[in-house]
Amino acid sequence: MSKILRINTREKTYSFETPAEDIAGLGGRALTSKMILNEVPATCHPLSKYNKLVFAPGLLSGSPAANSGRLSVGGKSPLTGGIKESNSGGLVSQKLARLGIKALVLEDKPEDDGFSMIVIKKDSVEFFAADEYVGVSNGDMITKLWERFGKRVATASIGVAGEQRLTAASIQFADPKGHPGRAAGRGGLGAVMGSKKIKAIVVDDKGTDRVALHDPEAFKAVNKKWVELLTTHPVSGQGLPAFGTAVLVNVINEAGALPTKNFRTGRFEHAKDISGEVMAENIEKRGGVASEGCHPGCVIKCSQIYNDKDNNYLTSGFEYETIWAFGSHCLIKDLDDIAMLDRLCDDLGLDTIDTGVAMGIAMEGGVIPWGDGKAAIELLNKVGTGDPMGKIIGNGAAFTGQALGVDRVPVVKRQALPAYDPRSVKAVGVTYATSTMGADHTAGYGVCQNILGVGGSIDPLKKDNNVDISKALQIATAAIDASGLCLFVAFPVLDNPEGLQMIVDMINAMYGLSLVVDDVTSLGISILKDELEFNRLAGFTPKDDRLPDMFKEEVAPHNTSWDFTDEELAQAVKF
Amino acid sequence: MPCKRQPRKFFIWVFDNYMGSVLFNAFSFLQKKLKAQNIPCVNAVLDLKDGQCVKDILDALGIEPQEIEGVFVNGKIAPLDTLLHDGDRIAALPPGTPGPYRLLLGLVSSPNNESDKKSDTFKCK
Repeated sequence: MSKILRINTREKTYSFETPAEDIAGLGGRALTSKMILNEVPATCHPLSKYNKLVFAPGLLSGSPAANSGRLSVGGKSPLTGGIKESNSGGLVSQKLARLGIKALVLEDKPEDDGFSMIVIKKDSVEFFAADEYVGVSNGDMITKLWERFGKRVATASIGVAGEQRLTAASIQFADPKGHPGRAAGRGGLGAVMGSKKIKAIVVDDKGTDRVALHDPEAFKAVNKKWVELLTTHPVSGQGLPAFGTAVLVNVINEAGALPTKNFRTGRFEHAKDISGEVMAENIEKRGGVASEGCHPGCVIKCSQIYNDKDNNYLTSGFEYETIWAFGSHCLIKDLDDIAMLDRLCDDLGLDTIDTGVAMGIAMEGGVIPWGDGKAAIELLNKVGTGDPMGKIIGNGAAFTGQALGVDRVPVVKRQALPAYDPRSVKAVGVTYATSTMGADHTAGYGVCQNILGVGGSIDPLKKDNNVDISKALQIATAAIDASGLCLFVAFPVLDNPEGLQMIVDMINAMYGLSLVVDDVTSLGISILKDELEFNRLAGFTPKDDRLPDMFKEEVAPHNTSWDFTDEELAQAVKF
Repeated sequence: MPCKRQPRKFFIWVFDNYMGSVLFNAFSFLQKKLKAQNIPCVNAVLDLKDGQCVKDILDALGIEPQEIEGVFVNGKIAPLDTLLHDGDRIAALPPGTPGPYRLLLGLVSSPNNESDKKSDTFKCK
């Protein structure tokens, strides 16, 4: 990948440039965070012309490496006011890579209110008027774009939430089957795209050759071992394909860490009714698809197609986080209602975590009853209409809490907490507090603990070692986010010391480099340093690395509380 | 958590000592397998005999050790030789749980952890 494609959204012009030396070797999150640090004034308003939206494939994207087609989207977040990288599946990453595009950058913003869309092909970059598509759902958008520009072109689009610049707005991507189930969800990057009046981006790689590899034979040999590693590990080879991430509902509930009724307890009496096991049963009964990948070349296939009672398509990419946010967090126990809420988030273009947590806060604030799935669906349908409640919910959990005068608002840096109680899984709590992304669960994932020197026993209910673990996982995750690999490769890699070496070997074979495993750690640290610097310039201080006081209360069943000091937490981001 | 001494319930001497019951759940593939065999595995209340540990319960249900990656006892990952008490809650997890929770909940042990080595003679602790 050799070129950066810059798009000026005000003048509707574009240019290709050769990457500068300090970014030439970067991809994915490494590239987006470095470019945002370099080019976006950290104090700008995120919806202003000074913010930029960067779409970057990872270092391995476009290669035959299994599970390498993920995309990073970066910018200043309208939700947190800090740096943001949102990661997604779909088709954009590999097609940009095949077009030789290292990063696509949206800059400036139009002075008028007209919406456009951008179509990128091998020999052209074109702008089309898109006002006829304003208000169109992401699902319908993909159908229209595939009809107009060809089946299976890559698409990125926003729904009404992004059009209206709401801070929980996502960017949704077509999956290989044409459903809008993939999302760059967290942090409101859909609002940034909406502020630049871009309704959709189409990427068509027709006519391109395969991405050239420096040493194709060496690459093939490693990839073969890599595929075997992914397909034989019980998590990536069996658990995720069978039950998706939803398998965690019962497990996290058992561990007493499933936040219930806005983080009041760690167990939900109806967890079994909204579990991955029930989801899998329903899929089987109703003719859905139990296992599919979110991008070509995925061998894990943790996604699924979930049908309704009449065996019609209801939703795809039905994740644990979504089931939690609209489920036990809201006391909703009907999995079909939750699936409809997931579908609405795909179509409206909303982050399911922030929107789900906002829904629970709406219940906390008395707008709708606890546990009422139908009322939640009705409320979510207000997003994008003239109804002010729609604007409130679409702006996410913190905004909803303030609008309704609620005192239990589970956010860090104004981003809603995900599906694990920090008092019962303390390392995740450290990540929530200290991650540059705001309360984020994917920021602290796992790679080989041996390499990262994380040893000793781990007690999720005690403070010991959990700061070190969070720090190590944040470093490792940042590095994986730069590679274009799906984060779920971390499970086999966590259990197999050769896994990390395989990733390094594939990068070396692709680019003719001589990286070693320690370079992965260095890369991860350098990404975090860039992000910390941006946030510092944006005005963040250590006091922003705190959980809200509501977590000082004990939570059942283990009756633990959040008891880290600022000084202890600071060690997680000290490099 | 210190061992609780339960007051013994005295039955006619021909019956086994009865120590109460435990709540049992199996997840993921294990749930599927047990359901197919009509073995209760969703919020199932099982009788508990005196001196039984986790492995005894699993043996009685026909679950082999290699089918298990971890067992929760009262919400925490615990060894198979954990002694059980009336009112305990146990859950059996087969391999395949995603997430860093494998590490964070203690499912994946440190490579230096000696106590994970299996011994030939198994005794409840």
